[in-house]
Amino acid sequence: MDERPDERLVDEARKGGREAFAELVRRHERRVYGVALRMAGNVADADDLAQEVFLTAWKSMASFRSGSSFYTWLYRITVNTSLTCLKKRRREKNRAPFDENLPVGEPGPAEDPERSSSLTELTGRIGQALAGLPDHFRATFALVVDQGLSHADAAAVLGCSENTVSWRMHKARRLLQARLKPYLEENRT
Amino acid sequence: MRCRTARRRLSDELDGALAPGPKVRLEVHLQACPACRAYRERIGLIQDRAKFSDERSPGSWAAFERALEAKLDAQGNKGPSLEGWRAWSRGWAWAAAAALVLVAMTAWYVLQRSGGPVPLETWNAYDDVLTPLVQAADADLELAARADREVGAMIDELAPAPDTDAVVLPAADPLFWEGLSDDDLRGIVADLEEQTGRGGPA
Repeated sequence: MDERPDERLVDEARKGGREAFAELVRRHERRVYGVALRMAGNVADADDLAQEVFLTAWKSMASFRSGSSFYTWLYRITVNTSLTCLKKRRREKNRAPFDENLPVGEPGPAEDPERSSSLTELTGRIGQALAGLPDHFRATFALVVDQGLSHADAAAVLGCSENTVSWRMHKARRLLQARLKPYLEENRT
Repeated sequence: MRCRTARRRLSDELDGALAPGPKVRLEVHLQACPACRAYRERIGLIQDRAKFSDERSPGSWAAFERALEAKLDAQGNKGPSLEGWRAWSRGWAWAAAAALVLVAMTAWYVLQRSGGPVPLETWNAYDDVLTPLVQAADADLELAARADREVGAMIDELAPAPDTDAVVLPAADPLFWEGLSDDDLRGIVADLEEQTGRGGPA
């Protein structure tokens, strides 16, 4: 296992070191893919997005400032690439906006009621509700909840204040719980 | 503490971003408010169940890396380009120029107050620096957007965000309006009409 720190690998990659860049990819692909999956909502698009992120990172290595965190920079590229792709996709599909009053998802024909517990169903509903959040809220949610970033780190990635991150998280949760309330009541402990 | 504030704090608490002082006040509120306790339970459940199961087999990661390698090869094995770096540098040059304008405006204001005239050559000096940058930004929308962000970051630095414990006006976040439903908006309109005694356009 390669034990060189990120900083050294970044230095080598900036000089054109493909092997060092490949190691950086191996180290960070799960994080990038995780955010891309939350943003894209499906595995195929997430895969394409993650590839695009690393290609952009490779092309932009020279602009990476030494001393700053590589993963923060990579997350920023991931969020920006995702937002750009989603905008493009929305222009093509003209997607409906988030509506608190809509029921979450239609009954899925593939689900076997015998096998799926109510908690599993709730997880699916939460995924659908999250997919319907405004993009910036979803990106913030992905960084804070999925990736475990602090508000300060998420703010650095998103280029906004900690206060904005805090507000987006609050707003996202308020929207989610309003939309999922009946299912959440069912699963109260 | 009002329920609205308590719920904002509950969200911060879930993210581990709540300071000890507000946390104590939140707990006091929760002891007396069953609705907020239920809200905490609901958002806690969402938090627990929201985690992705993004587990992929080692084989699929290897395939991902191979596909990426192939794309990098297809780019002709070129090293990292300096284009991004140049754009970033131009962005900073633009931000520096904006700072110069601020300094010039401050100097002008001070001189005006003291009654002294502003020599024309002072403005000409800034004009020489700014003109090529303004032209570059006119020709390159990406550069202009980058410059806007840099200037925005400088303003953020000069005027830091308020204390997290302070009252936050939700409407100050541009995305606040984006996430509101029609019912929310109708409620806000009704509140405003009630407070001001004036109706909106018919």
